[in-house]
Amino acid sequence: MSTIEIRKVTKQFGSFTAVKDADLKVEAGEVVCLLGPSGCGKTTTLRMIAGLERATSGDVIIAGQRMNELPPQKRDIAMVFQFYALYPALTVGQNIAMPLHSEGLSKADQDARVMKVASIMHLTDVLDRMPNQISEGEKQRLAVARAIVRDPNCFLFDEPLSRLDVELRHSMRGQIKEVLTGLSKATVIVTHDQLEALTMASRIAIMKDGVIEQVGTPHEVFAKPTNVFVASFIGTPQMNLVEADLRSFGDGKASVVLAGQSLAIAADPAVSRLKPSKVTVGIRPRAFTTVQDKAGDTIAAQAELIEPMGAETLIHARTSAGGDIRVVVPRDKRVKVGEALHLRPDPRQTHFFGEDGKAVRA
Amino acid sequence: MAEHNSIWEALGFRKASGVGEAGWGRTLAVAIVSLIYFLPVLFIIFTAFKPQDAALSVPPTLSPTSFFGLIPDKFVFSPTLDNFGSVFMRSMTTGGAPEATGFDRYFFNSIVIASSSVLLALVIGTLAAFGFSRYPLKGNDTYLFIILTTRMLPAIVVIIPVILMFRVVGLSGSYTGIILLYTAFNLAFTIWMMKSFFDELSLDVEDAARIDGSSDVKVFFKIALPQVIAGLAATFVFGLILTWNEFLFALLLSGPDTRTVPVAMNQAVSSGGRGTDWTLLAAIETLFLIPVFLVTFFLQNHLLRGVTFGTVKR
Amino acid sequence: MRLSADNWKLAIVAGLVVSVIAAIALPASASFWIIGAMAAVIAAAFVVNAYRRKYYGGLLVAPAIAVLFVMNIFPLLWSLGLSFYAYQSNQQSIRFVGLANYIKVLTNDIAAPANWAALVNTAMFVVLTVTAQMIVGFLLALLFAKQFPLRKYLLILVLTPMMLSVVASGVFFTYYYDPTFGILSYVVNSITGGQFILMSSKVGAVTGIVFADAWMWSPFVMLLVLAGLVSVPKYLYEAAAIDRVSKWRQFWTITFPYIRGLLMLALLFRTIEAFKLADLVILLTKGGNDTMTISYHLIRIANEQNKTSEGAAISYLMLFMVIVLTNLYLYIANRRSQGD
Repeated sequence: MSTIEIRKVTKQFGSFTAVKDADLKVEAGEVVCLLGPSGCGKTTTLRMIAGLERATSGDVIIAGQRMNELPPQKRDIAMVFQFYALYPALTVGQNIAMPLHSEGLSKADQDARVMKVASIMHLTDVLDRMPNQISEGEKQRLAVARAIVRDPNCFLFDEPLSRLDVELRHSMRGQIKEVLTGLSKATVIVTHDQLEALTMASRIAIMKDGVIEQVGTPHEVFAKPTNVFVASFIGTPQMNLVEADLRSFGDGKASVVLAGQSLAIAADPAVSRLKPSKVTVGIRPRAFTTVQDKAGDTIAAQAELIEPMGAETLIHARTSAGGDIRVVVPRDKRVKVGEALHLRPDPRQTHFFGEDGKAVRA
Repeated sequence: MAEHNSIWEALGFRKASGVGEAGWGRTLAVAIVSLIYFLPVLFIIFTAFKPQDAALSVPPTLSPTSFFGLIPDKFVFSPTLDNFGSVFMRSMTTGGAPEATGFDRYFFNSIVIASSSVLLALVIGTLAAFGFSRYPLKGNDTYLFIILTTRMLPAIVVIIPVILMFRVVGLSGSYTGIILLYTAFNLAFTIWMMKSFFDELSLDVEDAARIDGSSDVKVFFKIALPQVIAGLAATFVFGLILTWNEFLFALLLSGPDTRTVPVAMNQAVSSGGRGTDWTLLAAIETLFLIPVFLVTFFLQNHLLRGVTFGTVKR
Repeated sequence: MRLSADNWKLAIVAGLVVSVIAAIALPASASFWIIGAMAAVIAAAFVVNAYRRKYYGGLLVAPAIAVLFVMNIFPLLWSLGLSFYAYQSNQQSIRFVGLANYIKVLTNDIAAPANWAALVNTAMFVVLTVTAQMIVGFLLALLFAKQFPLRKYLLILVLTPMMLSVVASGVFFTYYYDPTFGILSYVVNSITGGQFILMSSKVGAVTGIVFADAWMWSPFVMLLVLAGLVSVPKYLYEAAAIDRVSKWRQFWTITFPYIRGLLMLALLFRTIEAFKLADLVILLTKGGNDTMTISYHLIRIANEQNKTSEGAAISYLMLFMVIVLTNLYLYIANRRSQGD
């Protein structure tokens, strides 16, 4: 029954609140990513689950047991550190074997397990080398190997891929996911890279300034962000968030004055509940269609910078009011600098956020 | 409200969480050990405050106050500042009038000689260390080893040729002579330590600066040197501690004007003919301890960081 | 031969010529200064040459080498030379005797036994005091390894013994050990009722000396070991905690490799210094009760008995031993670091 649950967990360092009222439940076999910018409290949360930090208040429950009092030794967890934390004076093989010493296995059993893990992580060739003699990728695999050689309650990863180059990251992402799926333990991964989170996690918890803003599947956080922060954090290129005045709502369309232009955009029915006020309209760069002429639901902008991205092109456009709009078009759509564009947002990918930054959605 | 692992944490004795921290319980334990370790020094300091007659008593007096009766009276002495006065002014002959002892001069000498030689060694030694580190010669290790061996012989071996040399050149009893000699003493250690520091720095920064047009001189002063400040502080403190108390060479090479405190201390204490003047010795030593104590205290953090950097990764 | 600042060959020739003329024509101290000046001119020529040809390494190192040479190496060579002569500093005659001094020092019926005894004593002292310092220093370092309140103030208390003048601490230790007035005797007295004369037996005297020396210098070992302990990255201990590694094993696999280098360094330095042990012996026992060390013996011979050349011979034997030991240490240290 390998599960992790944190209930209203808060961590304060003196007068500074690093984590506030965090709630999260991770089921066996689930991979949950704590995602957020640096300083948002994700690593602190992870360390509280590990027992390396003591929660100021709240409950940390692992495998159904409350673990606040227990030091890391007694929690039976495995952790992969950001800096790998490999024991520099031991060989690769000895590093992997270290966690097994406290399990009272016979030497033969220990060796067997080490060999098994080494072959899974493709480390059999370097078992006799020292940590400072292996490549970065091998170091990372060694850190993971040390974690999976045991049978812990759960796995914790602290920015496991941040030190690898792009290519290695790509292959390691797949490898880690494969290994984790085979083990069906609750896993928490901390990362600041949304691509990692989107590909490895079954659910993502997005954090900002110590607060968990939203927990959901990759699809949910992408398609239904609960607030402006999540909307802007997830998705590259970043979602366009434009301030607008909401005038009225009728026929499933919201009348807004956006970037100095009056439009009527199709919006979620929940928007009808809003009084005329300031809202933020969120439109993903790929949610536009470009049309020839201005219409009641198009935004006018002028292309300023063209960035070819291979199969697509990113256009930085500027509205007459001076706001920036990012548009992504397929590469065969040729746009010139200075060209006037009329952009029609896709109503299914248009989000409205109220004055409090929260999404207005049914 | 935070909950605690054990009663120790609840009382604040052990710091919760943190693998590398400890709480007041640690402080208490270490305080006991440190104070016990410090006791011989404390006794010397106390003796400096004792009146003459209380200095040699049976049993030895231990405390300036009786702590509200906790300590029996026979262990208590009433403190006085007279001894500090007699460091500088006392009667040199029995029954004679008090006269200036010249100790103000001796303190001055010690400060000047020690700090000049340590600083001089720091300057020359750091330059040399940079040279050994950045422009290694074929016999580098041999040269460094030879430099280390200069520290291996007891003073007595080199003292006679040095005395003769000084006499011939006319440096006996002068500041220059003894400062040069002490500089040579400190050089071995300085070079060795600073070289370790320079070895640790990454060369990329220096190369980048050279590409940007900095002359080698600028590279040294603006780039390499600022990064090793901790090492400079550490070397300074170590050198000061070693030079401050040097006795043998000072004894044989300094003249009446350039005498340092350790030599004067020895003289003042053993020339009385009445046996050791304990309170006087204690007063001199207490005063003498203050400068090096202060320097070490304030540079403590650098010292620790400095020793780490310079010696861990070889 | 053009006249320019970097023409060192010309400088050497000119310097030699002037020096020889001065040595012949002028009185000793004046000619000494002239020769010194010529040496400086020659050196300057080398320096300018090096600067113009960018031998920066040489330039940077030169002042240090110069000072060391004049103040240390030159006297060392002089003493070495002296050890091959029979010369007594109050007489005028010098005789070259080759290795006679060395042989005399090692085998002569009258002189040798004292020398050997001193040597054996020194070896004993070195082993005892260095061991004590290493253990005490290490334990002290363990105490201070973690951050705790008031650490800064307590640390300086433990560092103070190193800062004491040997004269003061030595004299006060004679006081502490004094049978009548000393605190040690008083404490023993109140338990057993009799006086305790520490210095009356060899064991007692050696203990007294070793205790004082170790007390003074253990902080040095502590500093070095502490530096190592403090440099271990915290996350290694965290990983070990999560891996449920026992504290004992944590020490051997994580901590010890970091401090091993520093421990050996402390060992090296303290051993070199311990060989020179003399001041405490002079102050505490004056060599009585068979506590004479080789360094004190040297002082006696050279200064008090005026047998300076024998003293030189003994000291070079000592130097030889220390060099052998140091090389042994370096060999072991290098082999270990390669093996990792």
